Amino acid sequence: MKKTLSKKLWLLMLALFTALVLTACSGDDEGSDNAEGNDDAEGSEASEGEGAELTAWAWDVNFNIAALNLALEHYDNEEFNLEIIENAQDDIVQRLNTGLSSGTMKGMPNIVLIEDQRAQSFLQSYPDAFYAIGDYFNTEDFADYKIAPTSLDGAQYGLPFDTGVTGLFYRTDYLEEAGYSHEDLVDITWTEYIEIATDVKEKTGKAMLSLDPNDLGILRVMMQTTGAWYTTEDGSIQLEDNEALKMALENYKALLNNDLANLHSDWSQFLASFNSGDTASVPVGNWIAPSVEAEESQSGLWRVAPTPRLDMEGAANASNQGGSSFYVLNIDGKEAAAEFLGETFGSNVEFYQDLVTEVGAIGTYKPASEGDAYQFENEFFNGQQVVYDFSQWMEDIPQVDYGMNTYGIEDILSAEIQQYLDGKDLDEMLTDAQAQAENQFK
Amino acid sequence: MKKLIRFVQANNLFIKFFLVMVISIIAVSLFITYSSIRMSSNLFIDTFSITNSKVMDQITQRFNSFTDSIVSASLEVDTNGTIKQLLLEDHDNAVDKSTFYFYMTDEMDRIYSEVDPDDTNMVIMSNSNDIFNMNYIKWQINGHTLMNDPMIERVENSPNEIVYQYEDSELTNGVPMIIASKALKLKTGYIYGYLFFSLTEPDLKEFYESYTGVGNNVLLVTPTGKIISSNQDERIGETSPQLLSYAEDFENLDAEYQQVNVFDQDYIFLSEYIPSLDIYLINLIDQETVAENVTDTNEIILISIAIVSLSVLVAFLILRRMTNSISNLVHQISDMARYQFNKPLKVTGGYETRKIANAFNYMLNELQDYVQILMKTQEKQRKAELEALQHQISPHFIYNTLASIKFMIKQEKKETASDTIDSFISLLQSSISNADETITVEQELENLKSYVQINQARYGERIKVNYLVSPDCLDLYLPKLVIQPFIENAFFHAFTKKKSGYIQILIAQKEEKLVCEIIDNGDGMISERIANNTIKSKEKRQLFSGIGVKNVHERIQLRYGKNYGVEITSELSKGTRVIIKLPVNDEQT
Repeated sequence: MKKTLSKKLWLLMLALFTALVLTACSGDDEGSDNAEGNDDAEGSEASEGEGAELTAWAWDVNFNIAALNLALEHYDNEEFNLEIIENAQDDIVQRLNTGLSSGTMKGMPNIVLIEDQRAQSFLQSYPDAFYAIGDYFNTEDFADYKIAPTSLDGAQYGLPFDTGVTGLFYRTDYLEEAGYSHEDLVDITWTEYIEIATDVKEKTGKAMLSLDPNDLGILRVMMQTTGAWYTTEDGSIQLEDNEALKMALENYKALLNNDLANLHSDWSQFLASFNSGDTASVPVGNWIAPSVEAEESQSGLWRVAPTPRLDMEGAANASNQGGSSFYVLNIDGKEAAAEFLGETFGSNVEFYQDLVTEVGAIGTYKPASEGDAYQFENEFFNGQQVVYDFSQWMEDIPQVDYGMNTYGIEDILSAEIQQYLDGKDLDEMLTDAQAQAENQFK
Repeated sequence: MKKLIRFVQANNLFIKFFLVMVISIIAVSLFITYSSIRMSSNLFIDTFSITNSKVMDQITQRFNSFTDSIVSASLEVDTNGTIKQLLLEDHDNAVDKSTFYFYMTDEMDRIYSEVDPDDTNMVIMSNSNDIFNMNYIKWQINGHTLMNDPMIERVENSPNEIVYQYEDSELTNGVPMIIASKALKLKTGYIYGYLFFSLTEPDLKEFYESYTGVGNNVLLVTPTGKIISSNQDERIGETSPQLLSYAEDFENLDAEYQQVNVFDQDYIFLSEYIPSLDIYLINLIDQETVAENVTDTNEIILISIAIVSLSVLVAFLILRRMTNSISNLVHQISDMARYQFNKPLKVTGGYETRKIANAFNYMLNELQDYVQILMKTQEKQRKAELEALQHQISPHFIYNTLASIKFMIKQEKKETASDTIDSFISLLQSSISNADETITVEQELENLKSYVQINQARYGERIKVNYLVSPDCLDLYLPKLVIQPFIENAFFHAFTKKKSGYIQILIAQKEEKLVCEIIDNGDGMISERIANNTIKSKEKRQLFSGIGVKNVHERIQLRYGKNYGVEITSELSKGTRVIIKLPVNDEQT
């Protein structure tokens, strides 16, 4: 009896020992598994957290990027992280096209700034790529002309940002030297502008403006003063027999033929052209104001006059260039991105006041224009109420339906223009361009 | 202290075994733990280095494809007639310039797509400082600054090559970048423009960053020892001649990797020279950090400790059990003598101790058996001796008696002589012819009377003998010659001073014992002479038979046990009293 008992005891002890060792080992394994599991969980959480680190693509450090940074300051959400990446606009357009057409959406930003004139081409080409954000703000709070380019089939995709209202920024010292006062520049035509430019060139040796042969923005500015565009409202291309375009092209050629313009091939050269004092005026959208102001040594030397109009009936001394809006891509983090935009650009009056005073950006958010900031007299522009003036001109901008192919047409046109500059007949050139464009966008 | 020594002595075996066991368990586990940690980390480092040298090859390939794309892009620019023509022509007016700008950009756009995927920027500068910058965000440069930079001179000095250089000066607005530059020249040697490719450090980092990690660092080092790119941002811009010399040595080394000490730390070092960029690609692996992620030394040590303590505990229990039973056995065996080897050992403990105890007990039993057999044999022998003695009548007695009878006949005491002869005959008959060991009390009485008669006939009747025998005793048996020796003793020793007296013989049953008393009123003895229930006697006197007083007691005890025997009390000049206790036997045995 005793013998069997002790035998059993030994077996028990052996079993106990094995069990102990096994549980020790497996326990450890489980422990490490768990630890790994936790790590993974944390990792994924962290990556989600980083996913909450959203990205935004925009161009122009002094303007759009600055506006986004200001919006971040006004956004009271500690969990929200936004990385703002500066890219050239062309780069953004190219990358968006590459990314969206591949359909993977990999490496795409959450928020992207798109120029109003390009917006429709994106919205119509990639309808599922964008997230409708109409629920995050009230569209009626924004200038009417911004809604059409930023929406598609009744759904609001873009949050209207700045107005593209243009103005004629000019150097008072150069103009005075050429014998012109502010009044001489108010409500002029482009023909008069060329005359003034000729005088300026003669008197000061400075070019009146700087042009990029690859960017025909100036033509668009001119055209829109008459409410004309490359396309008609029904979307058909009208280059041939487009009086406004013809007039704009003649003006363009006159500027170059008479050596009244400097040329630049990229944005930084463009900024350098007026920051260095090489050009006397900058007839572009109001968004250039912060870049002009960036050269502090020129404070007080600048003023803004209304945009020259084409010498046509019904033309207004107001135009639009490159106003843009924010879009949210239909990827993870879209809600957070839309919420951020809605809380700042979509509804924050105070933010718009700071936007005007600190960045110089004029939004299209109507309630904001009642604020004091719009009355601000800008020292840099000789005490001119620049913002107020722009907001006045904004109301006069002739409505234009930009259509889908603005930039596509312009690519064709810019090549043709070289031949026109080379002596080709204007009508012939436009007929050729019309034929090319019709082939391309059939 | 004494206690401790005693304890050590008591547990000597256990302590020895246990110490040996503990030391060997610890030694074995230490060795195994150490070697397994070492082996696993060595194995890991080996495989890690192999993987990393593959990674290095991949990174090198990326660099090569990068330089390839730069080479092919620059070739295209070089051979592009439009660009050549545009750069060679003078552009005096704005119209010309506009055409110039437009077509330059147009041509460059197409070529740029070759290098664009690497985030490389392409810049062409004309002799009149016109800049065509494909991605101004990456490198904002104006023609004036660029033209006056020493870089242009370097390019002009080696117009056939693509010159790579690292810049983080004002030229690049402080942004660290690699700039590849090439002069665009005609066959005559005239330089008509300059081509630049720039790649910022963050973009360069993307070539290899995905291969790096904590403790696994990649550095790009120029032949001057300057670190131009690294996933460790803080090292960028540092100059480390030490690192460079390691990299240069590594080229001539036929090894997968090398152990080095740089930045005050030990690293595994891999290096590859990228000739196209003229830089060294260096991979530094912090062995400790990387290996730490693989082998959790603490865990291994913890497991080892757990196993060691478990096995020590188990060893303790097993040993304790084993040695305890052995110690017990030893204790029992050493106590054996106290119990006269009669007490068997307790059979407990393990198999071995049980076997030992069993064997010991078996041996003990055998021993006892032998001893008993031996004792029995000895007893038998003694008995046989005594028996032989009691059957003899001493020849001296016969001779003396016969001599006495002869004197009686000579003195003509015919009656006495005849009585004596009768008695003698009766004695002889009883002792010689009767072979039985026991006789009845009556017969013994007869013998006594015959003996007394012979003695009285020889020595006179100054000593009288009285017999008081209880009648119920007459038929009881008693051993031969039990009483006779004491009467003989009384006759010859009790009456040396006193010349006359009497001897009384009383036989009765008392307390179920047959009690025979022999009482004399003679000289008595000093107590020294009485020992071991016999009477010491020096003299060698001829006794009636071989049996003297001395062995009566022994005989009785041998025959009947301890309850029976002889008791002697004596008093000087008063007499001696002998009590013989015998069992009540009414049958011949």
